[in-house]
Amino acid sequence: MDTIVNDFTLNIATANGTGSQSANLILMQTIADMGVNVSGKNLFPSNISGLPTWYIIRASDAGYQAPGNRTHIQVLMNKATWEADIEACEPGTVIIYNTDVKLPVVRDDCLVLAVPMTKMARSIHPKLARMIANIIYVGVLAHLLNLDDDAILSALNKQFKGKQKAIELNSTALALGRDFAAENFGEERGPYRVEARDVDDDYFMIEGNEAIALGAIYGGITTLAWYPITPSSSVAEGIINWLPKLRHDEDGKTTCAVIQAEDELAAVGMIIGTGFAGGRGMTATSGPGISLMSEFIGLAYFAEIPCVIWDVNRTGPSTGLPTRTQQGDLSMLYEASHGDTQFPVLIPGNMEECFEFSWRAFDIAERLQTLVFGFSDLDLGMNKWKCSGFTYPDTPMDRGKVLHTQKEIDAIENYGRYRDVDGDGICYRTLPGSGIDPILYRGTGKDEDGTYSEKPEVYHANMERLKRKIDNSRTWLPQPILREEVELEIGIIYYGSMENMIQEIDDILESTGMKVSQCRIRSLPLSPIAEKFVRDHETTIILEVNRDGQMYGILRKELPIELVPRVHSCAFSDGMPPRAIVYAKKIMDVLRKVGATTEVLS
Amino acid sequence: MTIKLNVINLPKDDYKGGPSSLCPGCGHDQVSNVIVTSAWENGLDPKKIVKMSGIGCSSKTPAYFLSQSHGFNTVHGRMPSVTTGAAMNNKEMTFLAVSGDGDSASIGIGQLIHAIRRNLNMVYILENNGVYGLTKGQYSATADVGSKKKKGVTNETQPIDLCALAVNLGCTFVARSFSGAKKQLTSLMKAAMSHKGFSLIDIISPCVTFNNNDESMRSYGYVKEHDVELHAVDYIPSFSPMEEVEIPAGAYRDIELHDGSVVRLQTISEEHDPFNAVAALAAMHNAEKEKKHVTGLLYFDPTKPSADEDQNLVDTPLSQLSDEQMRPSKESLDEILAGFRGQ
Repeated sequence: MDTIVNDFTLNIATANGTGSQSANLILMQTIADMGVNVSGKNLFPSNISGLPTWYIIRASDAGYQAPGNRTHIQVLMNKATWEADIEACEPGTVIIYNTDVKLPVVRDDCLVLAVPMTKMARSIHPKLARMIANIIYVGVLAHLLNLDDDAILSALNKQFKGKQKAIELNSTALALGRDFAAENFGEERGPYRVEARDVDDDYFMIEGNEAIALGAIYGGITTLAWYPITPSSSVAEGIINWLPKLRHDEDGKTTCAVIQAEDELAAVGMIIGTGFAGGRGMTATSGPGISLMSEFIGLAYFAEIPCVIWDVNRTGPSTGLPTRTQQGDLSMLYEASHGDTQFPVLIPGNMEECFEFSWRAFDIAERLQTLVFGFSDLDLGMNKWKCSGFTYPDTPMDRGKVLHTQKEIDAIENYGRYRDVDGDGICYRTLPGSGIDPILYRGTGKDEDGTYSEKPEVYHANMERLKRKIDNSRTWLPQPILREEVELEIGIIYYGSMENMIQEIDDILESTGMKVSQCRIRSLPLSPIAEKFVRDHETTIILEVNRDGQMYGILRKELPIELVPRVHSCAFSDGMPPRAIVYAKKIMDVLRKVGATTEVLS
Repeated sequence: MTIKLNVINLPKDDYKGGPSSLCPGCGHDQVSNVIVTSAWENGLDPKKIVKMSGIGCSSKTPAYFLSQSHGFNTVHGRMPSVTTGAAMNNKEMTFLAVSGDGDSASIGIGQLIHAIRRNLNMVYILENNGVYGLTKGQYSATADVGSKKKKGVTNETQPIDLCALAVNLGCTFVARSFSGAKKQLTSLMKAAMSHKGFSLIDIISPCVTFNNNDESMRSYGYVKEHDVELHAVDYIPSFSPMEEVEIPAGAYRDIELHDGSVVRLQTISEEHDPFNAVAALAAMHNAEKEKKHVTGLLYFDPTKPSADEDQNLVDTPLSQLSDEQMRPSKESLDEILAGFRGQ
């Protein structure tokens, strides 16, 4: 039989709370350590124990990161989803199942491999059999895929952080699974193999939330206020874990306060208080949290208080699917709260940018004296991704226009908290405790000196200045990244976690002979470069993971009217990690509809 | 004519604010005056005070006192969270916060509770009139059963006693007073300003416009007739220390505050011990039974660490850290990355 090397998708069906996550991470880390491009998606339930969980691992020499079009190897551990998992297998799938579940697998068109996983695990440690059974399938896969022994042991070490007892127990289980497979599936082991590639020592795997956490610490965060919510909690927990090493002095005293707030309303209030006092405050949340914070967000906009909120998007509306991914909060963030508002939104697409945008967000917030959003999602935040490393901040901290002495105030003619002396919409501020030019901040109308005012012309002028202030950032916030074809016929605008799928979409589309340019937007408000991209291409698709085409809506509102007919929405969301083929087909549907192609994908 | 200066050589005018836009005769204006007097007499530097408030008539008052202090008139009921963030970033400031019963007993009761729970170092001045003034006279959650507004129906819903709630939560300074009782309120205010931790002063501050007919239990007439003073409080600032005296049982008692200053309690009720939460609750309960308001320092606990002490912050206020203190070194990042790479 011909072998298929480094090009397969593996799906492992287990129940939540059985310890399968460790086994799956060991498997993925092993493949990564063999120098092979790999990605892992954890499809977990909103539950601690018992509900179905799937883990999807894809190995791809082509460098693809999204889950593949189909499953090539299916591991069956979970009684609850047994039948549905079997039914979903396409002919030719290698099915590995735990015979101790005592359910049949009748698929003559697949290679079905029976393994008594629980029984074998029980022979090692009866009490922990349920957990160890997961390592047995790693052992079986090690044989089938030809995984490197040293790489597995190293991954095992990493996972159990040098805990000898756990490492020994799991090594024994691994060997048992491997020997069983070698004995019983010598000939019939399926075509899929992992072959070592040149290892690039720079790369490691990390979750987006941890990259954001580290970025915040290097960005000089002085107060973390947060309220637990999936999928953002690990941002806050990441900061808490790293603070002792990075921000405590020799006496254990800290330069960053951490407060687990009573709710999201309090969390955002605390970071606004931080910005008011002259510190760097940040919170991390998800869509429902942003909804709760909305009133305060408007206060930060209107009173002009710097602070940073990271939204790790899950599916909405309402409670939605708490453990599934979406890009459904974008338009809410951009114009959050009541009245006329607009916020800078930073949109990282990879681990390196999660780190960079996290530290940069504080500089932007203080420079613009406003609330800045970071926009991630569950896929980017809670799955492990390949990362080449983080670049140490290359610019000194930008603390913005803060006056510290009376001399500095005296140098400004006619100083007022809300007087635009530089013509850039950004005014100078003083801090509590500085003893100079105190101000009573408020959410109500005020004049250029910060004094209460209900005058229509004063209100209007202030709102126009605020608009100008944010508008001016279009050219210096993180700019779009372009990959343009010479033909300039079809362009795709996309953002955020879609970065991990775009290469595969591009390859699928170009297999029809089309040439497709790409523009990845990395911040709002839109850069003029995005407008130029639309102008330069005959047809532009706006690709995103939501129902209504939220970025498309923003483009329609902000593009010159003559360019609006050139942009078309391709938006889809079912909560699952996006698969390239699904979006490629939808792009083709749109292109055919608007007459840009007649091709059909097979 | 010589101008009288306080211990840090500032005239009282340096503690004043802009003209009030509240209704003439509003109890809140009396409280503002007490804040001015207390801060001046305590010798607090106005530049080291931060004024905080929520939304409502009471929350407008920070414009009417301490115009040399920074302040923040925040959103309805959520002033405690903003104060929490500000206090973490500048622990050297004195936070004077004004709130109302709409702010504190309804929309913001959760934030009040959690600020007490953390023992945030702030003075929480609750101007309590049992009514929503700015929206023109709806009952608040502190309105007493049987109260009747100038217009409308009698309140039949049980009120929330925020002092009783605070005592149950372990609040470290709980006092009640009356906006017309200038002497007592000034003593309590000065003591609260000296306390390191959360001080709640629930001030019955009658609304002259919407809740001041004789059937209302928070009108001037009613309170003056039914107010029972638990203690007569005499405050002694630390810059003018008094010799310690032996306290004869049942007469009066000195309690030392965090800054070394002392609050003197002249005990009317021999039984009341301000360190005894059960006694405080009993006093409130008994007064309530007799439809009276008990005033004075109800409960005091100087032993609990404040929120900023709990955090174990560095000595420099976080808002004044250098870039080097805020951003770890490049070497530390290199080390982390090496760890990630398994090197």
